[in-house]
Amino acid sequence: MRTEIARLDVRLRRRSVIGYSLGMALYTLVVVALYPSFESSNSLDKLIENDPTISALFGITGPLSTSGGWLNGNIYANFLPLLMLILTLGYGAASLAGQDEDGTLGLMAALPVRRATIVLEKIAAMVLQAAVLAAAVAVCVVVGRAFDLTVTLGDIVAISATTLLLGLDFGLVAMAVGARTGSRAAALGTGTALAAASYLLGSLAAVVSWLHPARYGSLFYWSVANDQITRGVGLAEYAVLVGVALAAALAAVSAFERLDLH
Amino acid sequence: MTAVVETFGLSKTYGQTRAVIELGLQVEQEQVFGFLGPNGAGKTTTIRMLLGLQRPTSGRATVLGLDAQAESVEIHRRVGYLPGELALYPRLTGRQHIDRFARMRGDSDLSLARELCERFAVVVDRPARELSKGNRQKLGLVLSFMHRPELLILDEPTSGLDPLMQEEFEQLVRETVAAGRTVFLSSHELDEVQRLADRVAIIRSGRLVASDTVETLRQSTPLRVEARFRRPVDVGLFEHLEGVSVTSHDGDRIALQAAGPLAPVLRAIAEHDPVDVLSRRADLDELFLELYREPVPEMDRAD
Repeated sequence: MRTEIARLDVRLRRRSVIGYSLGMALYTLVVVALYPSFESSNSLDKLIENDPTISALFGITGPLSTSGGWLNGNIYANFLPLLMLILTLGYGAASLAGQDEDGTLGLMAALPVRRATIVLEKIAAMVLQAAVLAAAVAVCVVVGRAFDLTVTLGDIVAISATTLLLGLDFGLVAMAVGARTGSRAAALGTGTALAAASYLLGSLAAVVSWLHPARYGSLFYWSVANDQITRGVGLAEYAVLVGVALAAALAAVSAFERLDLH
Repeated sequence: MTAVVETFGLSKTYGQTRAVIELGLQVEQEQVFGFLGPNGAGKTTTIRMLLGLQRPTSGRATVLGLDAQAESVEIHRRVGYLPGELALYPRLTGRQHIDRFARMRGDSDLSLARELCERFAVVVDRPARELSKGNRQKLGLVLSFMHRPELLILDEPTSGLDPLMQEEFEQLVRETVAAGRTVFLSSHELDEVQRLADRVAIIRSGRLVASDTVETLRQSTPLRVEARFRRPVDVGLFEHLEGVSVTSHDGDRIALQAAGPLAPVLRAIAEHDPVDVLSRRADLDELFLELYREPVPEMDRAD
C-alpha cells in the first residue's frame, strides 16, 4: 500500500506533534511525581465535595487523592483531551480544507491518486499523530507507578485508547466539515464548538441533575468523563467511539469526492 | 488527427457568477494550443474542470479520450499540470518536492527531472519558502514535465520567469510537441502565445469569442493604411468605402482601417495625388485587444 500522502503530512506536522507530545509528557511526569505528596491529603477532596459543580467544570468528578482520581483530575479528564483535540481538530481542519485554501491540495489531487485514497491516507496520518501523543503520556503514567500510583497497565492502555478515539471523533468531524465546505474556518469552528459543548455536557451532567439524562449525548462521557480509568472501558463505549469515527470518516470521504478544489 | 482535449457545452456557475459558459474546445494532438483571455475570464476554472478538480455545472469534457470526471485518475497519470497559482510546501526543498511527487506517481525514473533542473538552473536544496517566484515556477515546470506526460496543461507557465528562462521554456515546449506530445497553455500574454501556439482559443467572461489557427487569425486582422497627400483631403471620400473606417485625419494625412478589399481604397487614394502610402496588417495583439475589450455585460470573476 502506498503511504506517501500520509507520510508527507506527518512530515509536515512533525514539529508540532513532537512539541505537543514532549510538553504533555513532561507535564505528566510532574503530575505523577507529585502524587505521593497529595496521596494522603484530604483537603483537596473536601474542596471538591464542597463545590462539585466548579470541580466538574474542570472535569474533576471524584476524589483527587486516589490514583484514578489524581490521573483523571490532572490529565485524562481535562488536559490530555484538550491537547489531543487541539492536535486532531487542527489537523482535521487543515488536512483537506486548509490545504485546499493554501493551494497545495490541488497539486496533490492532480496526481494519479483516487480522492478516497487521499482522505484515507490523511485519516491514517491523524491516527498516527494522535497515537504518538497518547502513547507519550501513557509511557509517563506507567513510569508513575513507581510513585505510588496504583493503576493497572490494562486501564492505562484503555484510557489512552478512548482519549485517542475522542480526538479522532472530533478531528474527523472537522475533516468532514472541511471536505463539505472547503473552509478551514468552518471546519475548525464546527469541530471546536461541538467538542466544547460535548465537554461541558460530559462533565456537568455528572453533577447537575437535570442534565444527567443528556450525558449519553457527550462523547466525553463515553471516553474519559465516566471514571473509565478506574472502571475500565466497556464494549459499548468502544462501539460508540469507533462508530462515530467511522461515520465521520465516511462522511469525509463522500464529501471530498464532490469538493471543488483549487 | 485525434482530439486530445474536447469540451461540450462546458459550464461552471458559482452562486450567481457564471464563470464558464457553454464552452466548446477541441485540442488536437502534437499541437501547442493557446488558451487566451484576460484575467478572470474563466481560463483557470476551465483547466480545473479538465483535470476533474472541479465539477462542471453542466456539459462535459474529455481528455485523452477519457471522461474528465469519471476517469480523472487515469488522466492524471498521463497529464502534467502546472497550476496558475502554484503553491508548494514551504518547508520542503525542491529536491524533496521532486522525490515525493515522483513517489506519489509511482515513478522511479528521475533522469528527466535531473536534466530539467540543470537546464532551468532550479534551486533544489533550499526550502520552497526561501525561493523567489521565478524559482518556484521553474520547480513547478519540472514537476509537470518530469514524468514525460502525453499532454501538458500549463496555466500561465511563464509568470515570474525572466526572459532567458522564458526562451528556454519555449524551446522545451517546441521539443515536447516535436516529440509527438501536446501542450495546452493558458496565458494572458499574447506575444508568448503568438510565438508558440498553432491554435488559439480566446475566452472572455466565460464565453469563447474566437478559436482558430494563429495564421488564420493573423490574416483576418484588418489592414492599416496610412496616406499623405500633396494637399488636404476630405475624409468623406474614404468613409463611404466598403469596410473602411477612418482612424485619424489631419489635413493632408489620413489613416484608415480596411477590413474589406484593398483595391477601392488604393484607387481612391491614387485619385488625390498621394506622396506617400503605407499599408500593413494590424498586429495580432490589436485584434486580441479588440476581442478582450468588447463590452462585458456582467462582472465575472472566475479565476
